[in-house]
Amino acid sequence: MTHVSLKQLTKIYPGSIEPSLDQLSLEIASGELTALLGPSGCGKTTTMKMIAGLLEPTAGDVTFDGRSVLRDKPEHRGVVMVFQNYLLFPYMSVAANIGFGLKMRKIDQTEIDRRVSEMLDLVKLPDLGARRPSELSGGQQQRVALARALIVQPNVLLLDEPLSNLDAHLRFEMRDLIRNLQQDMGITTIFVTHDQEEAVVLADKVALILDGRLKQYDVPSAFYSRPVDKATALFFGGQNFLAGTVNDDQFVTRFGSLRLSEKTPNGPGTLTIRPENIRIGSTADGRNSVVASLIDKIYLGTQTRLQCQVGETQLQVIANPNDVLEYEPGQNIPLLFPENALWVLQS
Amino acid sequence: MQRNGSLLGSSFRFLTGALLITWLVLPLIPLAIWSFAKGWFYPSLLPKMWSLKAWKYAFSDTSGVLDSLWLTIGISLAATFLSVLVGVPAGRALGMYQFKGKSAVELLILAPMIVPGIAVVLGIHSVFISMGLTNSVPGVILVHLIPTIPYMVLVMAGIFANYDPAFESQARSLGASAPKTFWYVTLPAIMPGIIVGGLFAFLVSWSQYILTLLIGGGRVVTLPLLLFNFATSGRNDITGAIGMIYILPGIIILILTAKHLSGRSGAVGGFGQI
Amino acid sequence: MSDRFKIGLLLFPALSIIVVLFFGGLLVGLMRSFNYMPVIGLTQPDLSAYVSVFTDKEFYLSFLLTFHIAFTSTVISCILAVAAALLLRRQFIGRAVVNFLFQLNLTVPHLVGAIGILYLFSQSGSFARLAAEWGMIAGPSDFPALVFDPYAIGIILQYVWKEVPFIGVIVLANMQSIGEDYESVARSLGASRWQAFRHVLLPLIFPGMLSASVMVFAFTFGAYEIPAILGANYPAALPVLAYRHYTDVDLAARPEAMAMAIIIALLSAVMIYFYVRFSRQRVRS
Repeated sequence: MTHVSLKQLTKIYPGSIEPSLDQLSLEIASGELTALLGPSGCGKTTTMKMIAGLLEPTAGDVTFDGRSVLRDKPEHRGVVMVFQNYLLFPYMSVAANIGFGLKMRKIDQTEIDRRVSEMLDLVKLPDLGARRPSELSGGQQQRVALARALIVQPNVLLLDEPLSNLDAHLRFEMRDLIRNLQQDMGITTIFVTHDQEEAVVLADKVALILDGRLKQYDVPSAFYSRPVDKATALFFGGQNFLAGTVNDDQFVTRFGSLRLSEKTPNGPGTLTIRPENIRIGSTADGRNSVVASLIDKIYLGTQTRLQCQVGETQLQVIANPNDVLEYEPGQNIPLLFPENALWVLQS
Repeated sequence: MQRNGSLLGSSFRFLTGALLITWLVLPLIPLAIWSFAKGWFYPSLLPKMWSLKAWKYAFSDTSGVLDSLWLTIGISLAATFLSVLVGVPAGRALGMYQFKGKSAVELLILAPMIVPGIAVVLGIHSVFISMGLTNSVPGVILVHLIPTIPYMVLVMAGIFANYDPAFESQARSLGASAPKTFWYVTLPAIMPGIIVGGLFAFLVSWSQYILTLLIGGGRVVTLPLLLFNFATSGRNDITGAIGMIYILPGIIILILTAKHLSGRSGAVGGFGQI
Repeated sequence: MSDRFKIGLLLFPALSIIVVLFFGGLLVGLMRSFNYMPVIGLTQPDLSAYVSVFTDKEFYLSFLLTFHIAFTSTVISCILAVAAALLLRRQFIGRAVVNFLFQLNLTVPHLVGAIGILYLFSQSGSFARLAAEWGMIAGPSDFPALVFDPYAIGIILQYVWKEVPFIGVIVLANMQSIGEDYESVARSLGASRWQAFRHVLLPLIFPGMLSASVMVFAFTFGAYEIPAILGANYPAALPVLAYRHYTDVDLAARPEAMAMAIIIALLSAVMIYFYVRFSRQRVRS
């Protein structure tokens, strides 16, 4: 169990002026599963390599349980990194791959064999020890890479895009496996991903990094309901942004006022609501309801995507197909904005 | 990795790098100095007198150096041309098709790249005698094909392995005849490969010694033979000048093709023979 | 036109030249080494050439010397090449120069290198002069014999000079395509720098390194002009000995030369076997 803190961690690669990572500070509680989320090239993998000791930071510090580890060599940090493409050693058997870390620690071979077969059971590949990595499927290789990392009982486990090379049904299997193992062993785990879905399904907490800077560090649902700014909302698929002014818990727009449930300071702002949170219909007293014109309607199977317009503002709505059967493009459609789904962005 | 940036590491790398550079150029330095030296005797570290005598001699009509230079260029060009002619089709067969016996064919082509010339040239010589090919330029050109063809085939096989024949089908379907398709579609696509492979095949032929010595029988005096003769007869100044002339094509070709000379291209394999 | 026919047609010119010249040359050499050549009336094959080769002390000395030259040069070149490739993987001042010289060296013929080594290391060469300048030797004969010497030091120096760049360029390309992540994985799993090199990088570059070394070994075993310039007179390297026998005024020595050529060819066949084995392995991994 290790508490990891990153303090003003900065990396400027030789020859470049812009930092690849700019003063990142994060507190990752012991045993927590944290996602570093951001588009490719935002400094996520750089961060991981600095935690693992594979890269030296330009400035800042990495501490484990309050002790700086920057001077520790990678092999002495107790941090294991699992790369996105697994990087199983191709000339070794699966068992030799898993036992590699123990062999490096000069542990007795019979002990290594015992623990390797334990690990193989744990990742549900009991009979594949003698195979070569090239004979395994992608999902199996991923499990071997995980087993190879976990066998050395690291204090901190780093995973690089752990689900991105897997197809849909394997992703859920692997997510459960990672979560279960991580929780059973209580290893502080950090993974990086560019895929917001991967981050929210797997992580306890998500750190969103855009342009080398930390945008928001929070539980996954907060990124949908309470994004800190428009860039964050956009990254999580936010599409509806309305300009207006906050006035005594009312958001005043050109086409009327919407009541807010959260206390919000007065002044100009941008209101956001997720497409799936806008409802079809209206309240009895007409509060938080507007009539929009339906521009386009796309049937997507389990849901229907509507494109609506209120005044100058385009709104995207995701609705249950049965709720919108009677509405056709060109007609008016009543939209309801539930007050607890409204969120005003900091400007 | 972690300590990469450390001063100790980088100064160690700089020092070993400097040592390596010195060692790599070292053998060429006395050759270059000798070519401008006039009487450079033990124990002088540098010549007491400098002169252009060796160069003047090398470029004079009487020395035979220029004749030898043109002869060597001619032989290497001819061997290169013939290698391209037969190497391009063979490279296409090996690079684009899978067929039964392919690995046997590859082995046949690989063998001359590894088996030293001396092992085959004695047998060839005794046959060439009866065919009147010894002591003749055509005989020498022919025997140079042994190292150059495999090399050209391998380079072209690599080129054709990354070549999409669908372009040819497209051209044919647009109404181009087979020769026109070759001329307008295939040839431009493989031209870079032919040029690089050809330049390297030229160098392979350029550096042949024992094949020329035996088949040429001392009558076909290419530059390396002349260089060897001057070196063993103690004419160090002229040896230096010829040596400098002799390495020039390699340097020019290097400058032309530097990016192809990394170990990633199969081309580099043939340099074991130079 | 069927594909088989087309492939045959494409391969025919190149293969026929190689088969006729190369394998024809080998076959004729083999026949003559057995004193068998029906065309010139030799119809009774015998082993006399091999008997006289294998009963000649000079042959054994020559074979051992040649093996020593090839083996020592290959091993030293290989080790230095891997070290140089490790160096060239990193950024340092002068890296571009080393890279350029590596490539330049590939294009310089062995013969030129041999003459350069002669001028550097002979007893009146540059190093002897330096030693004299510093008062370490009184005259040329005090300088250790590094060329024309019984241990073939000059020859080996020349091969090391020429083959370090050759193996180095191949190994470096190999390392670059492997990348550094495998070593990073090993380090994070607890391997020290040395362990990461020994257990991860080395096995990964091994096939490429070995196939380059096989080419070097075969070349250094069969090259003529380098030992002819830098080698001692007795014992001479095997290719030099074979050439001498072949050009001997006594035509009876020719089958012996052929026998030696066949021995060199056999040794290269073993090298081809290794080359194919390891280059296949490289393709598979």
